[in-house]
Amino acid sequence: MISIFGSSLISLAFLLTITSLGLNLWYLKSKDSRVYVAGRNAMISACLLTFSAGGTLVYALYNSDLSLTYVNKYSSVFTPTIYKISGFWAGMEGSLLFWVFILSIFAIIVLYQNRNKYVSLMPWVTIVIAIVMSFFLFICLAFENPFAPVDGPIKMGSGLNPLLQHWAMLLHPPMLYLGFIGFTIPYAYAIAAMATQQLDASWIRLTRRWSLFTWMLLSIAVVMGGKWAYMELGWGGYWAWDPVENASLFPWLTGTAYIHSVIIQEKKNMLVRWNMILIMLTFTLTIFGTYLTRSGIVSSIHAFAATDLSIWFFGFVMFLVSLNIGLLIYRHKDLNSQNQLDSFASREAGFVFNNMIFVAMMLVVLWGTLYPVMTEALRGVQIRLGPTWFNQKLIPFGLVLLALTGIAPLLAWRKTSINSIKRNFSLPIVLSFITGIITFSLGIRKVYPLITIILIGFVLSTILLEFYRGTKARLKSSGENIFNVFITIMDKNRSRYGGYIVHIGILMMFLGFTGKAFDQEADVSLSPENNTVELAEYSFELKEYWQESPNSHPKKRQNHKAEITSIDIYKNGAFYTNLKPERRIYIDQNSQPHSEVALKTTLNKDIYIILGSLDLKTGMATLKIRLNNLVSWVWLGTLVLIFGTLIALLPNRKLDE
Amino acid sequence: MPKAKFIIAILALSLIGFGWMVIGFETEEVPFISVSDLIEHHESYTQEKFRLGGNVLDGSIKYSEDKLDLFFELKQGEATLSVKHHSAAVPDLFKDGTQVIVEGVYKNGVFVADNLMTKCASRYEEESNYESKSSQTI
Repeated sequence: MISIFGSSLISLAFLLTITSLGLNLWYLKSKDSRVYVAGRNAMISACLLTFSAGGTLVYALYNSDLSLTYVNKYSSVFTPTIYKISGFWAGMEGSLLFWVFILSIFAIIVLYQNRNKYVSLMPWVTIVIAIVMSFFLFICLAFENPFAPVDGPIKMGSGLNPLLQHWAMLLHPPMLYLGFIGFTIPYAYAIAAMATQQLDASWIRLTRRWSLFTWMLLSIAVVMGGKWAYMELGWGGYWAWDPVENASLFPWLTGTAYIHSVIIQEKKNMLVRWNMILIMLTFTLTIFGTYLTRSGIVSSIHAFAATDLSIWFFGFVMFLVSLNIGLLIYRHKDLNSQNQLDSFASREAGFVFNNMIFVAMMLVVLWGTLYPVMTEALRGVQIRLGPTWFNQKLIPFGLVLLALTGIAPLLAWRKTSINSIKRNFSLPIVLSFITGIITFSLGIRKVYPLITIILIGFVLSTILLEFYRGTKARLKSSGENIFNVFITIMDKNRSRYGGYIVHIGILMMFLGFTGKAFDQEADVSLSPENNTVELAEYSFELKEYWQESPNSHPKKRQNHKAEITSIDIYKNGAFYTNLKPERRIYIDQNSQPHSEVALKTTLNKDIYIILGSLDLKTGMATLKIRLNNLVSWVWLGTLVLIFGTLIALLPNRKLDE
Repeated sequence: MPKAKFIIAILALSLIGFGWMVIGFETEEVPFISVSDLIEHHESYTQEKFRLGGNVLDGSIKYSEDKLDLFFELKQGEATLSVKHHSAAVPDLFKDGTQVIVEGVYKNGVFVADNLMTKCASRYEEESNYESKSSQTI
């Protein structure tokens, strides 16, 4: 019953999307405003139907309606409610519906906001959204219908993979999808601008907030994926250059380039073509990333088991690529910028270099990710490039980028005089040297971390100097107190100071990355007879071990039993903390075991323990103990990044008044 | 500034970037080969590290006394290979019959894996990308 209902909703939504596409094209020819309104209403109805289809699936998951194959695969009656709902995006079929679900929300917002505005752009915007939406709805219908009924007798349901039962996994996929799909909107406007030849910066202004907001969500998603890997995969790190992780990074890298380079077009009317290329690239990479992770062409042992789905996906990516290239060629004359670069020592040039590096980094990641596919095609053997390769290639790029973060905003527009360079850079350079000397005297001898910290010192001092100068100038002229002045200057130029705050967040993350070089790890086996082990200044003592089950702890252990060890940790001989790593056996998952990380986090260090195995008879426990340095800075930096973006996103008061 | 100068600068930088990308990665290459290929032809490869896939032979899982060394037979087609892996925490999904991927070096007939990953069971094909990892170093 629910199967037919859900499938009908998707089918109707698909038909209405196609209808809207047709009506909008007709409007472009007939210019009859009734046709435009009809087209818009068809689109809004399609969105509402998609929305209802999503709601229906959530309803089925919530009620554990096991007559659907999808519910069977990703949920069970034992699954905790919140993870029943997250089953929506846990599997292929659901996540594709989830994709359209989000896009339909965005589409409704865009259509509603601009219902009486930008009459020339909107039909094209609707057309682009309709194309993307109909593609995903078609995939849902033809290959991956989440409403497919169970074939044969109804079973108990497999439940959600315990690896996915984690808060970061609740939030990571929705964030990632929001971050991916959000780029559809600026892309749609870009295509509309191309189609209507309105290639000034107005489409960029219109989509500024969309782009920034989307970029922020994508940033959160990338980090949250790392957080999840850190907490759930249990190998102690947060980034392994896995194809799935890389897929989320491609559009992030080009998207970051984009949100920088649009500033140049807005202010200087330059980089018109480049911005167009960047948004096209970013959007296409979101689809490509989805294709990469969903088709499994990279990670699968049996690569190129070309399913119908992957052919369609590949076809869609190719369609987008040809559309983009076609439009770029067709409109090449209109894309010429009015202004040109005057000097390499200008802010414009700084932004251009920043962009080149972002795109280069994307190409490196892309190259490394597709290397197995390429070598298989050319040499007949899949060759993977390990994380070492990625780090080795990308760290230098990252460091140059870091330096530019400090340099570019201090350069003047058009051309920077030697005097201004001296004035702006001498103090930061001195401060960065001092940072370097302090770091060196603290015993940091590794090259990359040392350079990173020197650069962090440099960039931080340039940013603080900017804040200081802004405040000082106003303090003189206004006579207000310092706090008010500080708020006022931020308020006057939210995107600029918001951007600086984002940069501070990035600096904190870079600091976090340096910690990696100093991590320590030990694989140990402890038992009541041999209960202590030392690592660096810490000693770890196996105190107790026991088991908990759904019977003994019905609330906490609803769907699993757990073997638990209690470890006392001493720092330099004094008691420091106690951690209880546990190993769970999920009852609804064919007794799949799962290790829960026990973590003691401080700004300086994470003590990270995984219980590998526990023999309840002898009390012998194997533990992986890691001392991970500065990891918290990555998470904290992300919070600062969010804060900064939100400031930049606040409506500009001047414009609103 | 003349446009040509700018274009030359961009091209030069791109070239450096591209050069940097494509040079010297042979040492980081990890060929994904079959077990029989490794046993018969490992000497013909220039790389030291290999990546292998296969299934854990039923009943072959053994641990050292302190449970920190894992031994098992990797079966792919007809070929089998002894694998050794040092870790306190093997991936959660590791058990008899599981599909695994190992990375490591081949020494005296034993494959010493520094990285052991499990392919998730087929019903999690979508999540197979989220391979469980152990002993991975960056």
